[in-house]
Amino acid sequence: MTGIDPETRIPDPIELDRAEEERLRAVAGLTPVRASGGEYAGFEQVGIPDRPPQTEREREVYTLDEGEMLVNMGPQHPSTHGVMRLVVKVRGEIIVDIDPVLGYLHRGIEKLCENATYTTVLTYVDPMDYLSTMHNEHAPAIAFEKLYGVKAPPRAEYIRALVVELNRIFSHGLMMGFLALDMGGITPILYAFINRDEIVDMLSAISGQRMLFNFFRVGGVNFDTNDEFLSRLGTWRGNVMKNIEMNERMITENEIFRARTIDMGTLTGQQAISLGVTGPNLRACGVPFDVRKAKPYSIYHELEFDVITQQGGDSYARYLQRIAEIKQSIHLIDQIIDKMPHGSVQAQVPGIIRPRPGRAYGAVESPRGLYSVYSISDGGPNPYRFRMRDPSFISLQALPKLMPGRLVADTMAVMASLDPVMGGVDK
Amino acid sequence: MADLRRSRTAAHPLGRRRPLTTPVAAGALVRALAERLGSDLRDLWTDEDTVEYQVDGARAHDVLRTLRDDDDLAFFMLADAAAVDYGPGERFEVVYHLFSWKHPGWLRIRAQVDRADPRIATITDLWEGAMFHEREMYDMMGIVFEGNRDLRRIYMSPDYRSFPQRRDFVLPDDAADSSAAGVRPLERPETWDLTRFNQAPGVTFSPSAQRDDAPGEAVTGGETLSSKSRPR
Amino acid sequence: MAVDRPTTGNATDPMPTGGHGPIVIPDQAGDSDLLREFGMDEHPQGGFHGLLEVIPTKADYILDLIRANSLWPLLSGLSCCAIEMMSTATSVNDIDRFGMFPFRASPRQADVLIVAGTLTTKMAGPLVRLWEQMPEPKWCVAMGTCTTSGGRFKRSYSVVQGVDRVMPVDVYVPGCPPRPEGLIYGMMKLHELVKERRGQWRTYVDRGPQRTRWEGDVR
Ligand code: SF4
Repeated sequence: MTGIDPETRIPDPIELDRAEEERLRAVAGLTPVRASGGEYAGFEQVGIPDRPPQTEREREVYTLDEGEMLVNMGPQHPSTHGVMRLVVKVRGEIIVDIDPVLGYLHRGIEKLCENATYTTVLTYVDPMDYLSTMHNEHAPAIAFEKLYGVKAPPRAEYIRALVVELNRIFSHGLMMGFLALDMGGITPILYAFINRDEIVDMLSAISGQRMLFNFFRVGGVNFDTNDEFLSRLGTWRGNVMKNIEMNERMITENEIFRARTIDMGTLTGQQAISLGVTGPNLRACGVPFDVRKAKPYSIYHELEFDVITQQGGDSYARYLQRIAEIKQSIHLIDQIIDKMPHGSVQAQVPGIIRPRPGRAYGAVESPRGLYSVYSISDGGPNPYRFRMRDPSFISLQALPKLMPGRLVADTMAVMASLDPVMGGVDK
Repeated sequence: MADLRRSRTAAHPLGRRRPLTTPVAAGALVRALAERLGSDLRDLWTDEDTVEYQVDGARAHDVLRTLRDDDDLAFFMLADAAAVDYGPGERFEVVYHLFSWKHPGWLRIRAQVDRADPRIATITDLWEGAMFHEREMYDMMGIVFEGNRDLRRIYMSPDYRSFPQRRDFVLPDDAADSSAAGVRPLERPETWDLTRFNQAPGVTFSPSAQRDDAPGEAVTGGETLSSKSRPR
Repeated sequence: MAVDRPTTGNATDPMPTGGHGPIVIPDQAGDSDLLREFGMDEHPQGGFHGLLEVIPTKADYILDLIRANSLWPLLSGLSCCAIEMMSTATSVNDIDRFGMFPFRASPRQADVLIVAGTLTTKMAGPLVRLWEQMPEPKWCVAMGTCTTSGGRFKRSYSVVQGVDRVMPVDVYVPGCPPRPEGLIYGMMKLHELVKERRGQWRTYVDRGPQRTRWEGDVR
């Protein structure tokens, strides 16, 4: 128990005279305070930065017309799905503009990955998009296997597909719960977490961890299936349809839910493509882009499934899309279990791998869209450059386009339907 | 037509590697690209699902516009845009990954950018979604995208003055040992070259960002942060 | 049998405070002599319902019991650990059993801050502000290795290496993320602290004004 480290304790600068303040900051190795005293004004003027605007867009957002005001949502807000700040410009209750401020969860994962060995990278990427951990590991595993020139054995590929589909189911299930929660319904999230806990307990039986599974390896997976995993899978499969449908009945036909989602936050296909929106959000606009079909990886070319799309592109279509994808994933899991071959689950790969110099791109379809990794090797034990494209980071750009003209209370409903995860947004 | 395969003739010393899948059937794409953009695209390289070209930074915008708008190419989706730093004295690269229904495989365009004066034209007029990509590259690498309307830092706070993804930004072995002690971002003086970007159109910095009197790191007993850091 | 009502300070005072000795609740002590001493079976209205009707004790003790059994956490998740925190709050693990369900969205109504997730330099200012907006008495639980020590982001350029660099912490729950059972165990430990009045915020207050503004504060 250390409490406050005396070295880092600095008395409040406002109460000190300037010289004393500078001396204390120098002792602690901090940069000097700026010449103008008001620069650290923080929240005192809500949302308005206390400096000249840096860009055209910033000037546009932070210049107020008659009758307009700025409202800060976040960084601690119950429904921002993490730590994010939305500077909302409102006229009365009507939204005029939105400026998302990111970076409250920026952990420098890319830089850490560039300083880690290839095997360790698969650990570092886990907390990125923390609702789809298996997909986070899948994309680097694909890229590194291309770089190193090794292929995972067939059984490992089937186990990978099995666990990523399980992950997709609980991620979409939680999205349904959060969407209802942001509109004030608390019951669906309780059902969603029951389903999620069943699945993560199952996955922890196979991987040993409940949330950040760290299950993938370069050239395979960590463990083969075991009895506990399979028995839990059987139990879960027996009643999953019932649970999903129960949750669905509660939400889908609900009058309030429909009133707050139908025709709300409508994206057209063209707009979505231009904004870089992918995944269920794009398919809900009618564009049949699914990496599993468009550029099949792993074993998806051996499975039978169609790309599901919705027409409409509003929040309700995005919600229906998630339900359809949950059912599709259950169908895929049945096929995977039918076809699963015997054999080893790990190719022979040394502990520290040194791929030849080269570049590789690995892309997977995560519950939030196109999740891809671009990795460069210089022949050393660490990636020279490791870049991750996170779908929710890009999809978030749609929010300022969707909201103008709507009510403040609808911001969270639309944002929940886009389903961003801040760990992925901020890396 | 040149052999599109990456040369993999030499056996791996461990002898454990398996052959890769065959390269993509990229012939049609390569021919179409040679016909339309022959003078701009250099250094064709492929692996099993990617076709890669290098272009000049100054030509990148036009090349990408052609790739998007041409009916035979139709690379309608920007899958990824990333920046790569090849170290001091070398160059930056902005790497675009594109997707099209008409061709198998991803298309990768590597645009070369001068490291001493990193500027490249924005592509937010082609894809609105490139905005966050470009803001991230600006924040992490310090590449200026000319014509971008909103080139602010996106992750670090506005008064942060380093570019953490650059190669010369070295992580300490243990951040808890550093003078920063975890409550202040690490800054390295050699990466403070923001003043140079003042002339960039649409990019201005508040006067405080130009000050160069901020101390780099606490130097105690002749030991600097860099001497504690492990070069990669 | 007429026994004088004990005054405070008597040896039979059931109120051990100050953090020494076990807490003895009289009607569970199993000592019938002790019960008789309180006039248990001579109550004029015959009001013996299995419990003492009058317990001479200190208001502080009762307040601590009440505090310990209805600790309302602040609804503030920072990253991955927040999902496990939510899992702890929902049906399967049901932290409601310990009086902790209403996750308050406003710091003014919260008693305990569960720092669930990685604290970055940019978030440090807002989080300290939240902590200072909470009314006293208040407690802080650091959940996950990121908040206890920096964890897997030990070398990162933008992560605060342990939340105890910016605010006092009462209970550390290690794990990446801790299992819900781990968090519940941590909260049980916090109950003990609360009953024994051993919170860190007191020392924090004694230390005088703290730094409230940070390099990466929101602007
Ligand atoms: S301790 Fe692990 S699970 Fe918790 S926030 Fe840190 S990385 Fe995420």
